[in-house]
Amino acid sequence: MVNLTIDGKAVTAEEGTYILQVAQANNIDIPTLCYHPALEPFGACRLCTVEITSRGRKRLVTSCNYPVEEGLEVSTNSEAVIKGRRMILELLLARCPNVPLIQELAKSYGIEKPRFKLEDDNCILCGLCARICEERMGVSAISFSGRGLERKIDTPFHVHSEICQGCGACAFVCPTGAIKLEDITDKEPRPILSEFNVGLSPRSAIYVPFPQAVPKVPVIDREVCIHFLTGNCRTCENFCQAGAINYDQEDEIIEAEVDAIILASGFDLYDPSALEEYGYGKVKNVITAMQYERMISASGPTEGQLQRPSDGKTPKRLAFIQCVGSRDTHHKLYCSSVCCMHATKEAILANEHYPDLKAFIFYTDMRAVGKRFQEYIARAEQEYNVTYIRSRPSKITENPDNGNPIVWYEETTTRTRTSMEVDMVVLCQALIPSGSTKDISDMLHLSLNDYQFVDIPDRLFHPVDTEIPGIFACGFCQAPQDIPDSVVQASAAAARAAEFLSRKD
Amino acid sequence: MPRINSPAELEELRKDILSNRDPNKPCITLCSGTACHASGSKEVAASIEEEIKKQGLSAEVDFRKTGCHGFCERGPIVVIHPEGICYLQIEPKDVPEIISQTIKEKKVIERLLYTDPTTNKKIVHESEIPFYKNQERLVFGSNGKIDPKSIDDYLALGGYSALAKVLSQMTPEQVLEEVKKSNLRGRGGGGFPAGRKWEECRNAPGEIKYVIVNADEGDPGAYMDRSLLEGNPHSVLEGLIIGAYAIGSHEGYIYVRQEYPLAVENVDIAIKQAEEYGFLGENILGSGFDFTVKVHRGAGAFVSGESSALMTALEGRVGEPRPKYIHTAIKGIWDRPSNLNNVETWATVPLIINKGADWFRGIGTEGSKGTKIFSLVGKVNNTGLVEVPMGMTLREIIFNIGGGIRDGKKFKAVQTGGPSGGVIPEKFIDLPVDFDELSKVGSMMGSGGMVVMDEDTCMVDTARYFLNFLAGESCGKCVPCREGIKQMLNILTDITEGRGEKGDIELLKEVATMVKDFSLCALGTSAPNPVLSTLQYFRDEYVAHIEQKRCPAYVCKALVSYYIDPEKCQACMICLRQCPVGAISGGKNQIHVIDQAKCTKCNTCFEVCPPRFSAVRRLSGEPVPPPVEDRVLVRRKG
Repeated sequence: MVNLTIDGKAVTAEEGTYILQVAQANNIDIPTLCYHPALEPFGACRLCTVEITSRGRKRLVTSCNYPVEEGLEVSTNSEAVIKGRRMILELLLARCPNVPLIQELAKSYGIEKPRFKLEDDNCILCGLCARICEERMGVSAISFSGRGLERKIDTPFHVHSEICQGCGACAFVCPTGAIKLEDITDKEPRPILSEFNVGLSPRSAIYVPFPQAVPKVPVIDREVCIHFLTGNCRTCENFCQAGAINYDQEDEIIEAEVDAIILASGFDLYDPSALEEYGYGKVKNVITAMQYERMISASGPTEGQLQRPSDGKTPKRLAFIQCVGSRDTHHKLYCSSVCCMHATKEAILANEHYPDLKAFIFYTDMRAVGKRFQEYIARAEQEYNVTYIRSRPSKITENPDNGNPIVWYEETTTRTRTSMEVDMVVLCQALIPSGSTKDISDMLHLSLNDYQFVDIPDRLFHPVDTEIPGIFACGFCQAPQDIPDSVVQASAAAARAAEFLSRKD
Repeated sequence: MPRINSPAELEELRKDILSNRDPNKPCITLCSGTACHASGSKEVAASIEEEIKKQGLSAEVDFRKTGCHGFCERGPIVVIHPEGICYLQIEPKDVPEIISQTIKEKKVIERLLYTDPTTNKKIVHESEIPFYKNQERLVFGSNGKIDPKSIDDYLALGGYSALAKVLSQMTPEQVLEEVKKSNLRGRGGGGFPAGRKWEECRNAPGEIKYVIVNADEGDPGAYMDRSLLEGNPHSVLEGLIIGAYAIGSHEGYIYVRQEYPLAVENVDIAIKQAEEYGFLGENILGSGFDFTVKVHRGAGAFVSGESSALMTALEGRVGEPRPKYIHTAIKGIWDRPSNLNNVETWATVPLIINKGADWFRGIGTEGSKGTKIFSLVGKVNNTGLVEVPMGMTLREIIFNIGGGIRDGKKFKAVQTGGPSGGVIPEKFIDLPVDFDELSKVGSMMGSGGMVVMDEDTCMVDTARYFLNFLAGESCGKCVPCREGIKQMLNILTDITEGRGEKGDIELLKEVATMVKDFSLCALGTSAPNPVLSTLQYFRDEYVAHIEQKRCPAYVCKALVSYYIDPEKCQACMICLRQCPVGAISGGKNQIHVIDQAKCTKCNTCFEVCPPRFSAVRRLSGEPVPPPVEDRVLVRRKG
């Protein structure tokens, strides 16, 4: 361990570390532009320069790559340091007068208008992009070319790179937004989409699925993580101060002998792309109900703003299509049970956010069978500008001029075929037993009924018992039901299991 | 040629070579360095060979094409041995006379000799020419005596005896101590004590160590290393092998800049010969010491002469400097201990070994021992490469050796150290030249460039010139150097083109201070030197450019106008005819007038107007008078 002082504060550090790392660990702020914890120090921006007194001599050195010494005295803000930093920022601002980051940094040192000839670049030549591509990704698709005033980031021969892997690391680390992936590769990057936000927003390969996840610990998606795909990167390791990242972790198979099993494997969403006539995946402004839920959520990708996919505009006319995939001889024969109520709730929410908004719910039957559900629907009609249209639309097309979806349907009351142009359509997709339901049922030798739900032989008197004693099933995996009903069944299953276990003794 | 396996065998061979050479046999040496090539020495060489054959003297006369003699102003240079008769500026047409008169009849040809400008007397012998007499050519002198493509020539002069001594009589530590004691400081520009660097490298952890010859020599106008490498490559090799032995390195690199093909050619030949003779390779001279060396060619970047950039280039990457908080002597090429020294430094080592550190310390000043080769160029009469002991004054170098300012002009300043150095004005003309003295006045020794300037040199333009060079050569990695030099250059260009503003000088100084203190490598930290030193000693010129839009030296074209004085013009039509853009109007008996809109300031009219008229004037900082009404010339008698 080495003892040194920074701005008068006594600190200790391991041999071989650099002044900047020690300062950061002790919450002493030194500005940087070309420094990155996962890359070798570059020493190009010179912004991290500090004044040191070493062996009696005062010197100006860059803190990102000066190794600590015993008895070193460091000043991060002496007059010489501040003056020099100010001049560096003034020069950078002259080079990149329209880059917000440089404008801010310069302003914090009192520079607003440089006294030099102005250029209009947006690259500060910090090299973070080239360095991460080489050091972390092992690809070197881009690097510096040219010398001195000609220096710039480029691909070999200024053509699209053949080896760029489209990881986007360069664009991600660029502090000024100067890197555009389309300049480097003509391959279309495949964004990693957040499953929780139903593809509405991206996520990284190492991620926490959503803020309320339990446990709230990041997980690495091995299918898209660069390290697992190529053996390189490992950038995240350099940021975790707890040293908690372990790339060698494997799934742990736990064997336990139990006396009872409660199956609560829940539901998945049916993919409405199968209903080609509704244009999901083709007509941009047709989304699913789950996507709508994420959009309208304050903690979602749009922070609760309704922004339709094609142009981000707020819809004024919103259509909900019920029974997308449910009660359908071509898809799922059963009723998913919850969609009529959640569509009503969603239409009410939309109107609450946007009082000008009109919602149209195209229904087959309104299944409002819970307590005060029918009153809820009446309120929607009377107070929240929701119109219920009894019809199952035949197709949805797109108005090419403005991206508006057009819903084609039959007015069942007047028996006329007509169409309605709206701003956005929400498909209330069918809910299906989750994929794991079938797998686990097979393992347990449980039969599934005709609709692929876990078979409950005696629904009346033993609503959560499966055909095998000791194995119970509750919630959607055995029948479409909403949250209150699922909770009741969960309690029931717990009680039945306890009863079963007590009898075993 | 069988390998030499011991110092004893070396001495045998040397005796053998010498016994076959008759010191009294006539020998024509012709300087064949790159500078003389440019002056036509290749054609002279062909002519000499032809003439010798023609006159049937092939057996009686030796002809040796040697390395650079140094008196580049007067090349091609021919020296006839054994008398040492020196003929200058030889052309092929002089050759038959030289052969028949001087070789056959031992008669000296007066018109080819050097004429002393003060006494007007002819000087016969090379050693008596003031240019040479006042030098101490310890390292460079052998150039005139050897054909660089012949290792035997080098051996005949005692070459490789230092290596033999080192390998058979000294331990590596003893060699190290000797070099340390000599206080030899690096000749490449840094002036760092070589012995200390060698010691640091020797003590650095690691089995594999490298020694490197820095022959990147990028300073404009500096060509000492080129001439040494072209003219006496074995001296550099010998020094390198001795250094490798002292440090414990078995692998060496010679990094030669791309633009030195002759140096590469001669070094390649020298290495091949040294390998043949056993001075390179395994078990050198039977000592058990192995050493090999490779030549690496640069790719045209000045910055690659910086030691860490050079090492990065040797690794096969783009030459960019790295931070040197951990010395390259400890972590250099591929993070291994690497000792880099300049060509001249290495070439000095055999001398120190042969004659001893005490002898070396007897030459030079307290802080700077030994001699240094300078390239003396610019407005002096005798331009060339000069080797003088440290401590000789600028006056002695420029006037006694350099022959003073040419064309009768006045000395203004001397620029030393290339783009990293500064200008030294007349008040310091008696400054002894040594590392520390030059730094004290705001310049530096650098690699040894010495550019002499007269009253026709504009100091602001000089600063702009060096900044322009550095802007093109900066690697561009760090902000201070790349952006700072760029903006300083913008300001200076504005000043020289008449757009200087109040506050420019202060802004220049502010930028210069930051660039000096914050740059990553020495290119950046020394880049402000030309600006700062010209500002320090010639501030009035800057002020004139900025406030009066005037260039006192009439150099900055945008600030200079040409004007024909109607009182003096005699309508001789010479300038009118010579003007390349037809800007002058007039005729016989009609006073000539320059059209300012067409004038390109090429200076031709000024040069061709007959001195007895001297009618063309250069104006700066004042408006051009309008043409006179009556342009009919009244001719003056006489």
